[in-house]
Amino acid sequence: MRVELENLTKRWGTVVGADAMNLDIKDGEFVAFLGPSGCGKTTTLLMVAGIYKPTDGDIRFDDKLVNRVAPKDRNIGMVFQSYALYPHMTVFKNISYPLKLQKVPMDAMQKRAQRVADMMGIGHLMDRKPAQLSGGQQQRVALGRALVKEPGLLLFDEPLSNLDARLRLSMRGEIKRLQMELGITSIYVTHDQIEAMTMADRIAVMMDGKLQAYDTPDELYDRPRTMFIGGFVGNPPMNFVEVEVVKSNGNFHARREGFDALVSPDRGAKAAGKGKVFLGIRPEDVTLADKGVSGEAYMVEPLGRDDLVEAQIGDIRVHVLTDPKLGIKIGDALKLDFNAEKIQFFDPETEQSLLW
Amino acid sequence: MSSTSQTATTALPSETSKMSGNIIAVAGAVAALVGFFLPWVGFIKNGALVASLSGVRVGASPVVELAGGNVLYRGSPAAYLVPIVAVIVIGLSLYAIFMRQQVAEGDGFVKIGLSLITLLVLWGQFARAQGVAERMGVELQLQYGLIMVLLALTAMIVAGVLDIRVAMAGNPAFRNVLNALSFMSPATFMVTIFFFIPVVLLLALSLTDLASSNFSDPWTFIGLENYRRMFSDRFFPRILANTIFYVVVTLGVFNVGMALVLALLTNHIPRRASFIFRLLWLLPRITPSVIYIVMWQRFVQVPPHGIINQFLGWFGVEHQPYWLNETPWLFVILVNGLVGASFGMIIFTSAIEAIPKDMITAAKVDGASAWQIIRDITMPMLRWPLLFVTSYQTLSLLVSFEYIMLLTNGGPGLYTTEVWALTSYKRALGTYFGSNQWGYGAAWGFVLVTIGAILSIVYLRVFRFDDLVQEPKIDVL
Repeated sequence: MRVELENLTKRWGTVVGADAMNLDIKDGEFVAFLGPSGCGKTTTLLMVAGIYKPTDGDIRFDDKLVNRVAPKDRNIGMVFQSYALYPHMTVFKNISYPLKLQKVPMDAMQKRAQRVADMMGIGHLMDRKPAQLSGGQQQRVALGRALVKEPGLLLFDEPLSNLDARLRLSMRGEIKRLQMELGITSIYVTHDQIEAMTMADRIAVMMDGKLQAYDTPDELYDRPRTMFIGGFVGNPPMNFVEVEVVKSNGNFHARREGFDALVSPDRGAKAAGKGKVFLGIRPEDVTLADKGVSGEAYMVEPLGRDDLVEAQIGDIRVHVLTDPKLGIKIGDALKLDFNAEKIQFFDPETEQSLLW
Repeated sequence: MSSTSQTATTALPSETSKMSGNIIAVAGAVAALVGFFLPWVGFIKNGALVASLSGVRVGASPVVELAGGNVLYRGSPAAYLVPIVAVIVIGLSLYAIFMRQQVAEGDGFVKIGLSLITLLVLWGQFARAQGVAERMGVELQLQYGLIMVLLALTAMIVAGVLDIRVAMAGNPAFRNVLNALSFMSPATFMVTIFFFIPVVLLLALSLTDLASSNFSDPWTFIGLENYRRMFSDRFFPRILANTIFYVVVTLGVFNVGMALVLALLTNHIPRRASFIFRLLWLLPRITPSVIYIVMWQRFVQVPPHGIINQFLGWFGVEHQPYWLNETPWLFVILVNGLVGASFGMIIFTSAIEAIPKDMITAAKVDGASAWQIIRDITMPMLRWPLLFVTSYQTLSLLVSFEYIMLLTNGGPGLYTTEVWALTSYKRALGTYFGSNQWGYGAAWGFVLVTIGAILSIVYLRVFRFDDLVQEPKIDVL
């Protein structure tokens, strides 16, 4: 099912939940709505589900306007953070409830519910009540209930947020795989950028009710259009340094007091002569070298595979990912090399990228 | 004392308190002995006929006849209890002290229990003895004896508590039981004070002929005579049928049915409006009963006062009767139901609002219509409030009568709208044919209490109360 949001807006009085969202989702695509709390992602999702009525704008499913279609007639399945299972019904009754409402005959209903439950690995729990299940099992039941009627569109509202870290990791993979196998168009609301990056075909980044960017994870990561995206996508987050870009001896340099990094010509040219700009660089694109910007290890956080070093350079600090084997300690003198091909530049006023 | 040679070397803390418990018990026993015999002194000194707390009495009395030499007051077998209990308490103390090795955890409870029973019996006997002395014009000097006895009993209770503490230290299972009991004790206390004791008193009262015509000579035990009289009353079937009709219809149509409809409706309108609506609906409940009924009586009056009739007049309806005589039951049920519905409405509303929003969203997405959501999601989740409102309101309707009394007083005519509780009230307390028949009224009341208790149990079974208590969740990956 193809989904199109056109100028979609939701207001309560003066409070704006979603502001003129424009978005199209291809058939079979997995799209994540990513943003901090209160950014409008759930509001948008609930409008797609038909729970909220849009104040303005249109929602189209396969070119059909559905603004006034009731949730029950939209052919959607939904999974909630709270699972929202019916506590008085058994697992079987929970999963088969959408089929019961469609008046599917009992034996067909049983077959379909059992098939979905087996697929979710909870086929042996059909007679249990939700309260007798663990969090992970409950979320599988919720998924099964959303899938059983073979919906055209699956809506996920932070479905993994209530699970513990390990379980979240494995469920993440399972949901992604399931979605690919079934090819159901999906919208996945999350505030966890790793979830969005790993699962989604495209990510809609939202802030303050506005759509900030809508692109593939790689594009968002490599070519952030705004400082917000640069800072929000990726972990540990991007470093921002206020610099001035100058050309000397045919090379572009990003400079500030005690800081001088070489910039690739195509990038440097776009930021040169603009006065003060923000340089953005990801911690993994800064490496320790024999020569480069001098600094001192202000803080070292061992992450296992890497050490996250916070380097003091003059009056600023920059996060750097280093090899734990180097055994950097607090107070060590460092030489930092900034990858000239990965440096981003942002306008300090508009916070827009100067590159993309 | 406990007397093995080990005590000399190491006295465990528990041993010490057990010992002090026994010392206190000895002191208690001595005080009890002194206390039981002291009252004799008071009586002898006054040169009157001698009665004592132990129930022994010598001589002749104009009021109290001698019977078997040991009867304080005729018709009072309780008098025998005092010496018996005294012997048991003293005997037990001695047993507890000298045969400690054989005494188990129970001995603390026995001490406390017997002390309390003794206390109750003694209290009754003391009051009785004082009454007798007063009638005989004798001054009763039992105070010192009584104080000694109370001291003894207190000592016994303290000794009992100490014994229990010792037992607790030695037996974890016993401690668990005691912990459970202590968690239950506030509720047990309340239920005992406000239910069990009144019910026992009611039952006792219903077996006597206590009435305003004969209450100079109370507590004459007449067995089940009151019950025989009640069940053979000519209007008994009528009152029974009235009560069932009244409770079932009011409960079903208003207290549960209408309450549920109101709760569901107000849940679908804006919050502020529904709040105001519910507030208005609560008004009659906080209106004094008499004013509320006077308002209703204005409604149903004959022209030109009656509001209903005036209203009918506008539409040219000729038939303008005194509506309370025309359809008494309609108004009895309306008057009670309109007030009663507000209780369920409040309970159901908060229960509906407590259902997570996600669950309703999930049902909508699953394809449920508004009616299907009510039927499949809301209603099953209201099972507990439904049980609560149904059973609570059944019980309160069974015993409610003040609106009926004020509105129709059981009329019009004979027993048309008379319900059980109203009958009980009229027999026991209403100035009815000039007689307050407390005993007889208590019999009606006791049957009503019994019916209520049975109904509560039935409700708990029907609604499968055990299932409503959520099982502990064991989280496994």
